[in-house]
Amino acid sequence: MGLVSWLIAIPFITALVIIALPQKQSRMIRWVAAGGCAIHLALTAVATWLFWNAAKVDVSSVKTAMLTKLYLVERLEWFSSLGIQYFVGLDGISMAMVILTSIIIFTGVLASWYVEIRTKEFFVLLLTLSTGVFGVFVSFDLFLFFMFYEVAVLPMYLLIGVWGTGPKEYSAMKLTLMLLVGSAFILVGMLAIYNASGLNTFDLQKLATVNFTSDFQKWVFPMIFVGFGVIGALYPLHTWSPDGHSSAPTAVSMLHAGVLMKLGGYGALRIAVYLLPIGATAWGLFFMILTTINIIYGAFGAITQRDLKYFTAYSSVSHCGFVLFGVAALNMMAFKGAVIQMFSHGIMTGLFFGLIGMIYGRTHTRNIHEMGGLAKRMPWFAAVFYIAGFASLGLPGLSGFVAETHVFLGGFFGNGWASITVMRVLTIIATMSIVVTAVYVLRGLGRVFYGPITNAHFEHLRDATIPERISTGILATVLVIVGLAPWFFINMIEGSLMPLINRLNETGATAALR
Amino acid sequence: MLMLPEIIVVCSAALVLLADMFLAERKRVIIAPIAAAGLASAMLALVIFVPQTGSMLGGRFVIDSVAWWFKIFFTFSGLITILLSLDLLDGRTAVRAMGIGFRGEYYSVLLATISGMMFLISARDIITLYVSLELATIPLFILAAWRRNDVRSGEAGLKYVIIGAMASAFVLYGLGLFYGITGSTTIANISSQLKNTPALWLMAAMLTAGIGFKLTIVPFHFWAADVYQGAPVPVTAYLSVASKGAGLAFMFQLFYGIGREFIADASLLIAIFAAITMTLGNTVAIVQSNIKRFMAFSAISQAGYLIMGFLSSDSGGSAAMIFYMLVYAVTNLTVFACIIWYFNQTGKETIEDYCGLSRTNPAIALAMMLGLFSLSGIPPLSGFVGKFFLFSVASKAGYHWLVAVAAVNSTISLYYYLRIVRQMYIEPADENAIKIPITPVLAITLTALTVAAVIMGIIPILYETISKQLSAQWY
Repeated sequence: MGLVSWLIAIPFITALVIIALPQKQSRMIRWVAAGGCAIHLALTAVATWLFWNAAKVDVSSVKTAMLTKLYLVERLEWFSSLGIQYFVGLDGISMAMVILTSIIIFTGVLASWYVEIRTKEFFVLLLTLSTGVFGVFVSFDLFLFFMFYEVAVLPMYLLIGVWGTGPKEYSAMKLTLMLLVGSAFILVGMLAIYNASGLNTFDLQKLATVNFTSDFQKWVFPMIFVGFGVIGALYPLHTWSPDGHSSAPTAVSMLHAGVLMKLGGYGALRIAVYLLPIGATAWGLFFMILTTINIIYGAFGAITQRDLKYFTAYSSVSHCGFVLFGVAALNMMAFKGAVIQMFSHGIMTGLFFGLIGMIYGRTHTRNIHEMGGLAKRMPWFAAVFYIAGFASLGLPGLSGFVAETHVFLGGFFGNGWASITVMRVLTIIATMSIVVTAVYVLRGLGRVFYGPITNAHFEHLRDATIPERISTGILATVLVIVGLAPWFFINMIEGSLMPLINRLNETGATAALR
Repeated sequence: MLMLPEIIVVCSAALVLLADMFLAERKRVIIAPIAAAGLASAMLALVIFVPQTGSMLGGRFVIDSVAWWFKIFFTFSGLITILLSLDLLDGRTAVRAMGIGFRGEYYSVLLATISGMMFLISARDIITLYVSLELATIPLFILAAWRRNDVRSGEAGLKYVIIGAMASAFVLYGLGLFYGITGSTTIANISSQLKNTPALWLMAAMLTAGIGFKLTIVPFHFWAADVYQGAPVPVTAYLSVASKGAGLAFMFQLFYGIGREFIADASLLIAIFAAITMTLGNTVAIVQSNIKRFMAFSAISQAGYLIMGFLSSDSGGSAAMIFYMLVYAVTNLTVFACIIWYFNQTGKETIEDYCGLSRTNPAIALAMMLGLFSLSGIPPLSGFVGKFFLFSVASKAGYHWLVAVAAVNSTISLYYYLRIVRQMYIEPADENAIKIPITPVLAITLTALTVAAVIMGIIPILYETISKQLSAQWY
């Protein structure tokens, strides 16, 4: 078993170990979960190092590549008569996503240190879910990809239904069903690609060598993009997100908003744009319009919220809009922005939801208007919350700035297929959301942390404990590092985005010839 | 040699009856082991002695790889049904079941229907085809009415007899027309002489009704819910698995045996039937509160998925269908094993009664959840892989809309399967709920079924074998 397989297997093995532990030993269960995730983090670091050294050599050759270059590849025949393989590997985009997930799951386990009800089942489900997520990010076989995708979605039902708050059963059911209807669209598109290719293979790299007809691409592309759009909170299919995130327990919100929503952007890039470039050029503008609505709608939605979790959930809808906006803008700058935004938003929302959970555990309210003056009692939380808030409104020096700048520049540059005027108008409208974001973030945080202490009960609250400090500290540090030194990150993903651009340009050339 | 498994099954049916006649009541416990051993040895004989190709009786009894796999399926589901019936018929239940008994007759009737199904897939002559179909069906009427003091069971039996007889009449008339047109009773002759005439479409309509009845294809499904609810639970399990398999076997004979030339013409119809069957089955299942009725509608929708295998004209469709049939047998029987266990121990059969099961019996709740998830097609369980292959068949045939309908239906089905999961996992248990015991036989059966339901989706060997064997000798 190679390194990449271990990246998938470690959370699952940890879950199996936890199943074997007795229910009463909740302390030991927590330590095992944290230990498994720490090992995973270490392995991810090793993988990053190996990836980096290998990718460094290929910098010049990927510039003209049509296929994304994979590292640490593992292949195994599976259902060979149907061309299904166990085919995993890493390219720049998956590497970035694996790093993100590994950080989020580790901090998520620390953030759920105080889950006391049915601890064992909670961690088993949480780790199963992250197995699915890691699987999606490293799979380069469509069947495997889809399988892991469904594994990642389903444990959510129980995690929200059992450990959630508020209208948890409704939210859990809504979330699960909407995401699975989305995956039904993906399935239709995927099987159509498989059968139309005539290669009898689900191997993504082989399918990428096929030139699908223009008509075919034009109907399959929206199927797959919308399918992934559901989990990426594409307007108007985002409605599961506010309900789901606000009902979910802390670690689940972190993992869901931080990582699962990124499956949407990742899948749209990896499958829809990669395999169907003509479809992408035909539909790019349409999806840019939808995602612009996403960005603005999410931002205005967040302004009106009183519940901190709804507030963050709407802001997530807006920020995930940037990801899909970048994907739909179809140029290098925008793609880079989309991937950085996936990473940056993952960390940032993870931090947001983690903090909200921790504060809620103390104040027992999430209503912004009932809070006030918390900074006096909880300076650590206030400081970290502000870092996340500033990243969210795109303050230079934090990762959000890098991501949003790339996306907006990309949108403004335009591409060869859509009207540049329309793209610029849309970009300008989307840019306005930054102002709105600043309004709601600053106003919300000001209410919660400054002013007089509104409730006598708040006087006795304690600041963060050690696990909470570690978990929020890691996330805040990552935000700062990516904000100050983004080139490391950009170099990592650039080589894997080149093939996407080359493929798009090729179709542009053939379109011009016709 | 070719007919050895069938002979073993028929002989053990007779042996069971004789044993029942000569043994004292106290010693009749050995009847079930005899029946189980009979089926197990039939399965063994199938694996060891029966080749994948061969014919006897002048080509009227034929073994090919499709028939071979169907026979594996029938003997397997029969064997599991016997294991699941043991507790109920031997009276090892916490709640005394009314009017259950007569073990010898029960097992011999059960073995008779299995032998009928085994003949059905091998028959190459429309007369033997019809006789074996009746042999497979008539004992089921008796089984459905087995709880003789129970009004519902009687109603189930009566309803099943009347509608079943009507369906048989349709089938008989359809088959009769074949003879009228071609003057021959062997499938090979009929197939070569069949022309596209109005009479052909009349026959097709007749046979569609007949098959639709057996397979519970909408709109011929209406008997299923009442019969499934009234019949004793192990019989319901058997009906939902083996009886569907018999319907598929019969459909297979007609499609690839007789109507080979007309497969392409029928594919749109098949797609429409599949779509309405799964949609109706799924939407009606949402509102059911009795778990047996619930499983009846779930089984109806599964029939919709299964017939998607007929959309293909090459061996891929049948390979996917046979694989899913085996997967469906394993997973559906997993769920039924849990239902039977719960009914035996508590006498309850509504969905609300399952609340808090994950607290009192976590292992069984887990098995049931895995079974339900597998039925709805959640990876990495076998149901996911099975459905995926069937969907791929539909996609290959160009029915992309059907893939969409089927995939959305899987989501709907997840909605109602999650209702049970919710009862077991989210709803709190009664305060004085205690761990419910399970008998060793049932525990072993359930464990084996659950493990099979999980690994069939991960280990490719079963599907690969079926696929290779079918494509090697496709028509």
